Amino acid sequence: MTIHKLLAGSAVGAMMATGAMAEIVIGASLPLTGAFSISGAKHDQGYQLCVDLINERGGINGEPVRLITSDNRSDPATAINQYERFINVDQVDAVFGTFSSRLTFPVANILARNGYVHPAPAGGALRIYTQGHQNLFYFQPNAAEYIGSSVTDMIQELIAEEDRPTTAAVVVADDFFANAVEAGLLGLQVIDPADGSVVEDMAPGYLAEAGIEVVYTEKWPEEGFNDWLNLANSVKRSGAELIIALTASAEEAVQVTRALQTVRAEPKMVYYSQGTQAEFLEGTNDASEAILVHTSWHAAAPYEGVLGGQPFSNADFVELYQERYGDFPDEDAAIPFAVCQGIEQAIIGAGSTDNAAMGEWLYARTNEDPVRTILGRFAWDERGLPVDKPFLMAQWNGGELQFVFPTDEFETSPLNHPKDGF
Amino acid sequence: MADILQILILGLALGGVYALMGAGLSLVFGVMRIVNLAHPSLIMMGAYVAFWGFRLYGIDPIVMLPVAMVILAATGVLLYKLVFEREAKSAKYSEMTVLLTFAFAMVFEGALATAFTNTQRVTTPDYAVDAIFIGNVFIPLGQLYAGIVSLVLIGALALYLKYSRFGYAIRATTQNREAAELLGVNVNFVGLVSFAIGLALAGAAGALVSFVFSFFPSKHWEWIAILMSLVVLGGMGSILGTVVAAYILSVVAAFVGFFFGATLSTLTFFVALFVVLLVRPQGLFGEKPELA
Repeated sequence: MTIHKLLAGSAVGAMMATGAMAEIVIGASLPLTGAFSISGAKHDQGYQLCVDLINERGGINGEPVRLITSDNRSDPATAINQYERFINVDQVDAVFGTFSSRLTFPVANILARNGYVHPAPAGGALRIYTQGHQNLFYFQPNAAEYIGSSVTDMIQELIAEEDRPTTAAVVVADDFFANAVEAGLLGLQVIDPADGSVVEDMAPGYLAEAGIEVVYTEKWPEEGFNDWLNLANSVKRSGAELIIALTASAEEAVQVTRALQTVRAEPKMVYYSQGTQAEFLEGTNDASEAILVHTSWHAAAPYEGVLGGQPFSNADFVELYQERYGDFPDEDAAIPFAVCQGIEQAIIGAGSTDNAAMGEWLYARTNEDPVRTILGRFAWDERGLPVDKPFLMAQWNGGELQFVFPTDEFETSPLNHPKDGF
Repeated sequence: MADILQILILGLALGGVYALMGAGLSLVFGVMRIVNLAHPSLIMMGAYVAFWGFRLYGIDPIVMLPVAMVILAATGVLLYKLVFEREAKSAKYSEMTVLLTFAFAMVFEGALATAFTNTQRVTTPDYAVDAIFIGNVFIPLGQLYAGIVSLVLIGALALYLKYSRFGYAIRATTQNREAAELLGVNVNFVGLVSFAIGLALAGAAGALVSFVFSFFPSKHWEWIAILMSLVVLGGMGSILGTVVAAYILSVVAAFVGFFFGATLSTLTFFVALFVVLLVRPQGLFGEKPELA
């Protein structure tokens, strides 16, 4: 090999290196396999679609974006390792958050320690936001503990007093997120696992405030539980008019529904914490009728966001997602898409990928000058929780997930009540 | 009284499904000393066969069951010839197969996820969410059918093992591989057929599981611990023991769930595993291990 060839090779290498530096690299650890794989795979689609669309629009500040995705197998330790690798080995410019509170909680510490902006698509448990992290931004309406208020507000606003459910059975997956929703509904104390201190006392709880008596509660382990019929039979025997199933995944929501259908439970109303996904409808068919689910996103919500520096509406997202993946999107794809929009706007707003500057820019958002996404506007309080952003209540009717509450945001469908069996 | 009867029925109904899920695992260990950690992922494969038969052609999952058995048996033959036959005489064979089948479980999971995505699936024949009500007590039809089919298959296998000539050979190999070989049994062929039968049972269990539980590729990790509990309680390698253990643990778990909560219900299987290993390592029907 001559000296000329060596020099030429070095020059090409240098050019390639320069080229590599001229891109924005973002890391995302997702549960593509394991217990959260259904949601994880959709998060991957949401992130990837967003990054591709940004690149089609010329990148961020003229630089193309490259997304590195790793499968954390739904395992917290693996998720931690992968984010550490993104930071220390890949030296990514920014990160996207992972799915589920169980993974977000430990990952939050790593990203805070390294000064990275942590845009969380999932991880609604309040105790994640009370650790004093200054870099955390939640891309759903509010902490899971407050979801119950949307349920009881809906009952009180949309249902005549004599038709309202007066008793409730609350069954809960022993999961970070589900436990958080339970705490709000039942009025439990939210405890910081680090020091045992009370983060917030949710007493008396949204159900008690609404005059709904809890007649049955049960908790099942997050993994390995199969005795759904026994559980459903106990719920039925309680005679509760409102059945609340706080599941950690759509798969569990399917199991609960099929079991309630088998035992022929006949509540007035059913609310789930998961079940917006097409897979839920596929697994439950007609039994899904009139089941209520809270959601952070709805296809019909007329939100106007920004992408690649251009207007990008929720309807655009629905159309392009279907074009790309052939399926109708659900919130598991929409929320990460909004995360990606948020990070793009933060980089543009900060003028660089300096995470400290990005964080400052995000914290400076207000409802008048928010981050604009397909999930609507976002501005955060000092904990990293969105300000004045209600959850949406949706209901399965005729195989369609209809938006029913709140009624003052957009056009809503009438609430189907009472539920006519399963 | 109705409560007790109801819990008993639900426990037995679940036990029928678990029995078939564990039977193939037990057979393969009994004959081949293969601790097949990939067994639940193979059950998953059977579930996908039944699911797609139902989804694409409307074929009932119980009708698809033989198809799932044939496909899984063929997979078994292939796996055995390519992988498990080679080191069958190794003194460390069982230990090796633990790692090997663990790797296979991950490979199968990845292959299934690639082929069918991680989307949850469930086969939805009408009977899967129906029940017979007798007063306040109900019998879930899906689990009843699954339990009946399961018992028929296990019964047929038991009769085959007991009365057929090849069944003698399988039992002889299970009891003492070296002695069987000395007496002219082609233990390698016995291993091949047993492995194929074991996987066929996984296929059958998958077809039944497809309408009893929802499933997705990584779901198998939740099943392996429960199935190992059944096999250990029953006695490693004893199909009868696995069946009995499946019914016992399912009924006990149902009662524990009703009286002490769902969390402890699942714990029943693992407590049983620990207790058996401490008190009676050979399980209910297994042979006492010889001291070296």
